[in-house]
Amino acid sequence: MTLALPRPVARRLILRPPRPGIAAAAVVLALTLTAVVWPSLFAGDPLAADPLHVLEGPSAQHWFGTDQLGRDVFDRVVHGARHSLSIGVAATVIAVGAGILLGLCAGLTHKYADEVISRGFDALAAFPLVLLALLFIAIAGTGTTSLIVAIGVATLPHYARVVRAQTLIVRQAPYVTHAVAFGASRGRLVLRHVLPNVLGPIPVLAMIGLGEAILVAAGLSFLGLGPQPPSPEWGAMLSESRGYLHIAWWASVLPGAAVTATVISLTVIGRHLQSRFEGRHQ
Amino acid sequence: MRRTRPAAAVLALALALTAACSSGTTGAADAGQPVSGGSLTWAIETEPITFNPHQYAQAKARLLVWNSFEALLTHDAQGGYVPWLATGYEVSPDGKTYTFKLRTDVTFSDGTKFDAAAVKANVDQFQVEGYNPQVLAVQLRNLASVEVADASTVVFKLTQPDVLLLDFLSSPQGAQVSPKSLKEARNLKAGGPELAGTGPFILDRYTAGQEVHFTRNPAYNWAPATAGHSGPAYLDEVTYRFLKESSVRVGALTSGQVQVIEGVPATDEALITANKQLTLGRGLNSGSAFSYYFNTAHAPFDDIRVRRAFREAVDVDAVLTGVYRGSATRAWSVIGPTSPFYDKTLEKTYGGDAAEANRLLDEAGWSARDAEGFRTKDGKRLTVRLVQSAPFIRDRRDVLAQAVQAQVKQSAGIDLTVTVADQGTAAKALADGAYEVFENSRADTDAGAALSLLLTSTGSINRTGFKDAGLDRLLQDGQASTDQAKRLAAYQQVQKLVITDQALILPLYAPADQIAFGNTVGGVGFEPTAGVPGSAYNVWLSK
Repeated sequence: MTLALPRPVARRLILRPPRPGIAAAAVVLALTLTAVVWPSLFAGDPLAADPLHVLEGPSAQHWFGTDQLGRDVFDRVVHGARHSLSIGVAATVIAVGAGILLGLCAGLTHKYADEVISRGFDALAAFPLVLLALLFIAIAGTGTTSLIVAIGVATLPHYARVVRAQTLIVRQAPYVTHAVAFGASRGRLVLRHVLPNVLGPIPVLAMIGLGEAILVAAGLSFLGLGPQPPSPEWGAMLSESRGYLHIAWWASVLPGAAVTATVISLTVIGRHLQSRFEGRHQ
Repeated sequence: MRRTRPAAAVLALALALTAACSSGTTGAADAGQPVSGGSLTWAIETEPITFNPHQYAQAKARLLVWNSFEALLTHDAQGGYVPWLATGYEVSPDGKTYTFKLRTDVTFSDGTKFDAAAVKANVDQFQVEGYNPQVLAVQLRNLASVEVADASTVVFKLTQPDVLLLDFLSSPQGAQVSPKSLKEARNLKAGGPELAGTGPFILDRYTAGQEVHFTRNPAYNWAPATAGHSGPAYLDEVTYRFLKESSVRVGALTSGQVQVIEGVPATDEALITANKQLTLGRGLNSGSAFSYYFNTAHAPFDDIRVRRAFREAVDVDAVLTGVYRGSATRAWSVIGPTSPFYDKTLEKTYGGDAAEANRLLDEAGWSARDAEGFRTKDGKRLTVRLVQSAPFIRDRRDVLAQAVQAQVKQSAGIDLTVTVADQGTAAKALADGAYEVFENSRADTDAGAALSLLLTSTGSINRTGFKDAGLDRLLQDGQASTDQAKRLAAYQQVQKLVITDQALILPLYAPADQIAFGNTVGGVGFEPTAGVPGSAYNVWLSK
């Protein structure tokens, strides 16, 4: 994994023009991000219902058709990006933050504390992600906040384990032992010497993890555990329109396509970055 | 109310649909003459919260009750009473004593004989505290005692005249359960296989969340005259599968996994009528209309202007067209349009005037708007809460609520929050008064029972919090008189008071049942008067 590439190969990788798949993924991500930041640029009111125009197919006026309440599906998909992505991002931020903290603790403390924390990760990782999130929601109640925390906690071991493993390597590195010999304080040692050097793989990992978090969030809100109607969240939209699938495919297929496109784009770009940057250190 | 016998009604409907939908072709083949035997699977929308008929509360569970239980009386198509387990009854001239003669040839499926003592045991069971306070407070409010005159004669003594006694004795709550089961059942209120009845089928297996299974009662030979035939049921066994999702039910029917479904959503009706192998039937329910009741106990609905404004803010016709594709019958009163007490003069007297709604709200002081466009008063948003109880959601009432939510927001800036909760949570919200809108429809065969429960000051589901001595008196009059004209007069005044004068209620639609079945099935129909799907007694499978 950590083999350093010969220099010319690395340069070739960096300079090679992006493949079409990656370019497409980048375009999708850019569009999605714009939808998150400025949804009204593309779309109108996602809650405006028109009961006289329900379940109408895609047309020039309604690009993605209308749903069971006569709301414009395109408007809802665009506004839904903010709901779905912000849940995914917030959950990933929690998971990464707590993961780094716990991973550092496990890697730097003595043997027994490391054992306790690491077995804790194992226990968390032993449950499927969705099950763990469901368990948390059962305890904390439904709603956007508990959905975010649930996914954050459930995906935390993913990052914590990597940070712990990196910490164990870095703490033995000559520059750390030298810093100890020079009498650096514990805080300075961790913040200045250990932390920056264990974070390398985290951004790429988080990017791939973000896709998973968005998918799980959509899945849980499909089950009615996330934002409540009439919020235009992608998973909730799928859930509400699935009863009409055989007469109005657009109301569920298009929000579903939005989830799929976003998650695939995140993963494609994440993997691409991973292949480019992995092993650049050391 | 003009309804022919169920089988004939379905046949007529099938013919009408055939004529309407498939001009020139033969259309739905009929299942021929009744044959005995076979095993039928029927997919239903609602899993009952109880199998004890005395605890019956879901109109969608009524078709299950009459498979294994029976009452003293039943209804004919004209809304009158006909004998079932009773052979007849007499009323004393003062209207306070009802003497019932009972059949002598009836036994419960556990071998216990059905007699006057059994009837007394059943009615006395309601006196047990907490058993069913709703029925005790309305239908049995004026019951003084039940006396056993001889083995086949039972006498009901009332403290004052009350016609709802007959409705009770023909309702699922008045169904007869074996006295042995009443004594010995470990979980009486939940019911199930351990409760024996006299019906044409015996409930022998219940798998929570999946299905309930009935087998034929071979000894059955006491069908009422209104039933299509006599003797044991045609089917050997019938299984009801609980399929909550309408698309799953329709899929199960079209793929042949089940032979009958109920709860066909309006959006799927075209799929059924286009399929020549399938037949669609529809019956309007009796009882109260599906309505939103406003909680007048606290702000904002303690102000009649806000109640009126909410009602004006909703364009009910547009909402129903959107959600039900024009197949729903709009309700204008708290009583459904099939009831003999329905007040037709209320039609088109209110609703759908957004300008008026906004004027009323401005006048009531809700004139400011917040960033999201909702009205506010003293910094507080005009929020009203509707809590839906999941086991009672049918006919896409959750989607309907969202449509109303969007309407009141767009037209008047009212924030209607809709929560779907499990039954316990919903009951708690109602008990704590943590709601402003309460939704309900009742399928009582006598709408008077529904009105007494919903509107009297002490009514156990009086969720409006509205208490008025005059209204109580009118409801009392309606319940006491045997004279249909007097009852009509009383109930028309009730409707005018609660709909026009007080604006306590936003009636939405008249509940209806849609059933669909394959062409191998015969005898599927609706229960006379109640308008809900009938039991499996008349149903047969041609192969």
